[in-house]
Amino acid sequence: CCRPCVSPGAAAARARQSSRLGVSSTVKVTKYSAVLAGMVYGKKKYAFPWFGMDIGGTLVKLVYFEPKDITVEEEQEEVENLKNIRKYLTLNVAYGSSGIRDVHLELKDLTLCGRKGNLHFIRFPTQDMPAFIQMGGDKHFATLHTTLCATGGGAHKFEPDFQTMAHLRLRKLDELDCLIKGVLYIDSVSFNGHSECYYFENASDPEKCQKMPYNLENPYPLLLVNIGSGVSILAVYSKDNYKRVTGTSLGGGTFLGLCCLLTGCSTFEEALEMASHGDSTKVDKLVKDIYGGDYERFGLPGWAVASSFGSMICKEKRDSVSKEDLARATLVTITNNIGSIARMCALNENITRVVFVGNFLRVNTLSMKLLAYAMDYWSKGQLKALFLEHEGYFGAVGALLELLDSAEP
Amino acid sequence: MDRKTPPIERAAENGAALYANGLQNGFLPLPSSQSNGTSNCCSRYRDNDGAPLPHDCSGSNLHPSEMQNHTSPSRKCRGRRRIDSGKKNRPPFPWFGMDIGGTLVKLVYFEPKDITAEEEQEEVENLKSIRKYLTSNIAYGKTGIRDVHLELKNLTICGRKGNLHFIRFPTQAMPRFIQMGRDKNFSSLHTTLCATGGGAYKFEEEFRMMANLRLHKVDELDALIQGLLYVDSVGYNGLPECYCFENAADPERCVKKPYCLDNPYPMLLVNIGSGVSILAVYSKDNFKRVTGTSLGGGTFLGLCCLLTGCETFEEALEMAAKGDSTNVDKLVKDIYGGDYERFNLRGSAVASSFGHMMSKEKRDSISKEDLARATLVTITNNIGSIARMCALNEKIDRVVFVGNFLRINMVSMKLLAYAMDFWSKGQLKALFLEHEGYFGAVGALLELLKITDDQ
Repeated sequence: CCRPCVSPGAAAARARQSSRLGVSSTVKVTKYSAVLAGMVYGKKKYAFPWFGMDIGGTLVKLVYFEPKDITVEEEQEEVENLKNIRKYLTLNVAYGSSGIRDVHLELKDLTLCGRKGNLHFIRFPTQDMPAFIQMGGDKHFATLHTTLCATGGGAHKFEPDFQTMAHLRLRKLDELDCLIKGVLYIDSVSFNGHSECYYFENASDPEKCQKMPYNLENPYPLLLVNIGSGVSILAVYSKDNYKRVTGTSLGGGTFLGLCCLLTGCSTFEEALEMASHGDSTKVDKLVKDIYGGDYERFGLPGWAVASSFGSMICKEKRDSVSKEDLARATLVTITNNIGSIARMCALNENITRVVFVGNFLRVNTLSMKLLAYAMDYWSKGQLKALFLEHEGYFGAVGALLELLDSAEP
Repeated sequence: MDRKTPPIERAAENGAALYANGLQNGFLPLPSSQSNGTSNCCSRYRDNDGAPLPHDCSGSNLHPSEMQNHTSPSRKCRGRRRIDSGKKNRPPFPWFGMDIGGTLVKLVYFEPKDITAEEEQEEVENLKSIRKYLTSNIAYGKTGIRDVHLELKNLTICGRKGNLHFIRFPTQAMPRFIQMGRDKNFSSLHTTLCATGGGAYKFEEEFRMMANLRLHKVDELDALIQGLLYVDSVGYNGLPECYCFENAADPERCVKKPYCLDNPYPMLLVNIGSGVSILAVYSKDNFKRVTGTSLGGGTFLGLCCLLTGCETFEEALEMAAKGDSTNVDKLVKDIYGGDYERFNLRGSAVASSFGHMMSKEKRDSISKEDLARATLVTITNNIGSIARMCALNEKIDRVVFVGNFLRINMVSMKLLAYAMDFWSKGQLKALFLEHEGYFGAVGALLELLKITDDQ
């Protein structure tokens, strides 16, 4: 649901609350630029364009709200470059050589702060940040006097570049604050009428395994596992109360980096493609390879992996595996390690629902099913693995919400 | 030759079982009179001149001389030499303990040095040749190695005096080993072969069929604990078995320091072999396997072989010693431009292992040594991280790392020591043991002596 238009007093109170949570200070939207953007006097509005940006270690995630209820009057007043931005983003699905708009994730007919429109989800490699900032400079984005809310490590790293190359001030937000905010919001508005949250039933059976909707209305407590370049694990107790339990550096970046080295592939999609055709049991040393069967005393079935890549110490085995096998083994190793660590955290925090997000899971059904199975199997059915359709975009959404939450007239 | 005299038991004042020779469970009882103020505190660790070696005794910071004045048992570092049990229930020679792991076979062999002339005359030929073969060589076939530096000299086990030898060879060579057992007619010695590790199950059939040998199987984690406690109790030829690293963060000042494991419980035991098992040990008979991880020593070696073309563990370590993992890993500062202060992640922390390797330019610019180093650091830190989580949850502050992944692997040991200390803000202590990967085999040997005794 939308945030209802609120009085200036309430907005100020919310801004104070935001700063109590450790959010950096607000950049005020002046009344002048609000008029420029078509603000109606007396009614609470915020200057367009509305962006949320999450600059991660590997990918930049951008959410853009495209207003569909622009009045004739507003359109007349709209400045040229704002109109260009709107058209450029919504008429294309690809930008430059590496930017992509995930059209299937578009949230249609959303009401956000009294405005109706569509929410778009765009991503491009962080490597291309300089080109993006340059574009912002060339298109005089700074003259729009809008706040650019950004989260992720890159909000800190690229802040000087935004300033010098494009005269843009970033409002920096913490990535985990934004993540949680984004997750709760998207789940509440749902995915064009469908469920945002889902799980896998019969995860152990490839024939019968299917995606089932999950109602996340009472989400607390939940364990949130964010798998980006690296991994953060959060225990979330309420919308304002969470802690970062731990993290691991063996994340999506590790999977892709190792795959590139071991197989010669260059992209995430290629790596996944190879992995889908491979057999990791040729690469890993299983319990049965060491025990000749199960290790019954401690409940370790023969098919469990005892030593990832353990068979690769032998030259003959190395010569007999394919690139696809190596890609698969890398995927399985990283995925299972994350699952194992997540399970330990869930146990210790006494939480039974584990939500996995982050772009490592994008188009990666293999890992999702592995996680679903592992959580269920090793916990004897106590833990449930949950997933969200908008995977890696929640930080960007959270940044957008911050923009709308604390901007003042 | 075996005289099976049942031990005479009676209850001591404190209720503990006393054997006829006055021992309690094989250990000297505490000195009954403590009024004379003397103690054999810290007498275990002495240098060549007999002066006490400074060491960490049960976590206390007392100087050895100060400990003389403490008479409370918990503060004393009791001399715990295992005394001649006097029991005559001994298995026939040879005395072996075997741990058949996923990558390596660990073998301990007790060489008796108190053989009488009469015994020698009666000794069968193949037993004598086994003894000579093992003790006259330090390498066997192409891949067998005796770790001479680990030999425990003048040990008394079950009333016999001798040396304990530590031998290893790749599990890949197991068929040849079994073959040798057959060729040397080992089964005619009618001795029990106590074996632990997964291979005790996997190769059981082969032993029987190829060499007519019956294995007595022992669980690998039971054997590990018993072996560890035993070796720590007998000490390492007068030197400490257990040690820690002081100033782990500073390469210049980082030093190995003895650690007294007299009061070992509770402890977290992290066994890093091909894979990893993590145990919480509460007493000598009470432990649980907390968890494990499949990213272990086998992963390090397997990945290294694939990434660098090396073939052995030694080569991999050699390369890693020269490499720079920060060229391969994506650090927090590569993403944040500095520290991630909100959650206390320093810029130098690794955010994404191998994270730079998705970029072709970076791939072309790093060396094999960098890759080997990154593999070592990644595997080691992952184990450390998981161990730390377990220690936290089990509320244990001492973490003992064993297993052959740490053999000649100072880089990993120091990394673990540093990581445990740093991420726990000094709450956790990483401990190491000289006989690293051999405790399972020792435990199997002890089982041999125990089952004979039980008969």
